[in-house]
Amino acid sequence: MWAMQIVLAILGLSAGMAAAAGLFSFIIGLGVISDFADRTHTGDHVLLYETSVALGGMLGNIFWVYQIELPNSAWLVPVFGLLAGVFVGCWSMALAEILNVFPIFIRRARVIKCIPYIILAIAVGKGIGALVFFYNGW
Amino acid sequence: MASPVSDTIYIKADKNTEVTKPDVTLGDVLKIECANPSVLSRVKTLKLLKFHHKDNKKQNRTAVSILKVIACIHEVYPNVEVQNEGEQDFIVTLEEQKTPGGFVHWTKVIVVVAISFTGAAFSIMAFNNDVDVTKLFGQVYELMTGSKSDGFSILELTYCLGLIIGILVFFNHFGKKKFTVDPTPMEVEMRLYENDIQTTLLETYSRKEKELDVGNANRSGNSGT
Repeated sequence: MWAMQIVLAILGLSAGMAAAAGLFSFIIGLGVISDFADRTHTGDHVLLYETSVALGGMLGNIFWVYQIELPNSAWLVPVFGLLAGVFVGCWSMALAEILNVFPIFIRRARVIKCIPYIILAIAVGKGIGALVFFYNGW
Repeated sequence: MASPVSDTIYIKADKNTEVTKPDVTLGDVLKIECANPSVLSRVKTLKLLKFHHKDNKKQNRTAVSILKVIACIHEVYPNVEVQNEGEQDFIVTLEEQKTPGGFVHWTKVIVVVAISFTGAAFSIMAFNNDVDVTKLFGQVYELMTGSKSDGFSILELTYCLGLIIGILVFFNHFGKKKFTVDPTPMEVEMRLYENDIQTTLLETYSRKEKELDVGNANRSGNSGT
């Protein structure tokens, strides 16, 4: 019985490390955080941002696994929603950028002007799509 | 004015240089070495370009070809040999010296910290939900021990622990404390990103023929993007 517990412990430990390595190299590799640092001209604080990402991952995971309840935290919900939305929005566009979606499409469709409008259309489309998704409870 | 002696001047440019005043001399943007001290000090004060505040932008930027620099030196010392040991094209950015705006700066930093924190928390929860870690852990627990998991077994505990270790090892630091001397992945990514930006800027300037080069009349700094 104890041997089984030890095997389970090793399994959990390795699973956690593997998930961390995969997910966080994905976040860093997509360059979402370095984008933020560059846009706000605060590149000298990358270590702080890194600590923040690390803390967010650790606490988020603990909260999720143990379903911890925070008292009087209703006000946190819209804050969390907004910030997570910004992050995921940047993430999805960074993913499209990494996969060279835009250069290929722009080349194939021979679009040279109006690229800002296309980007605006993508952003609005994503927003409306998310709204429809949640409204219908899919 | 031309010096009769033939000296060799060694110049080295950084890919991206920031200057604080609109009149840019060679000494501002280049590292220069010459055996002849009088030539050296004269070359350092040669004017390379001047930024104009056309549209009152806070930041002005231009790309310069090393050939332009060599032409600049040859105007004064036609006989010297110029050896370039650095970049062939480089960017000069005029950054008006402003007090590092305390409040705005820290607001930005706090917002980015908040987004990174929430984003990371959101992604790990989304990942756990997506691959249904709870169900998987329940199945593994049942397989190993034969009894049903109550959802908070040793597996979940060590998973949290392993995740923390994995994150810390991956990022290679926590707070100001670094675990090894290597740069962290974010620092590497940041440098790569800056490199990409600089290469893109240089190629854009050169494609639009806005680069300061020999053979075009454009001598003043462009207020670029």
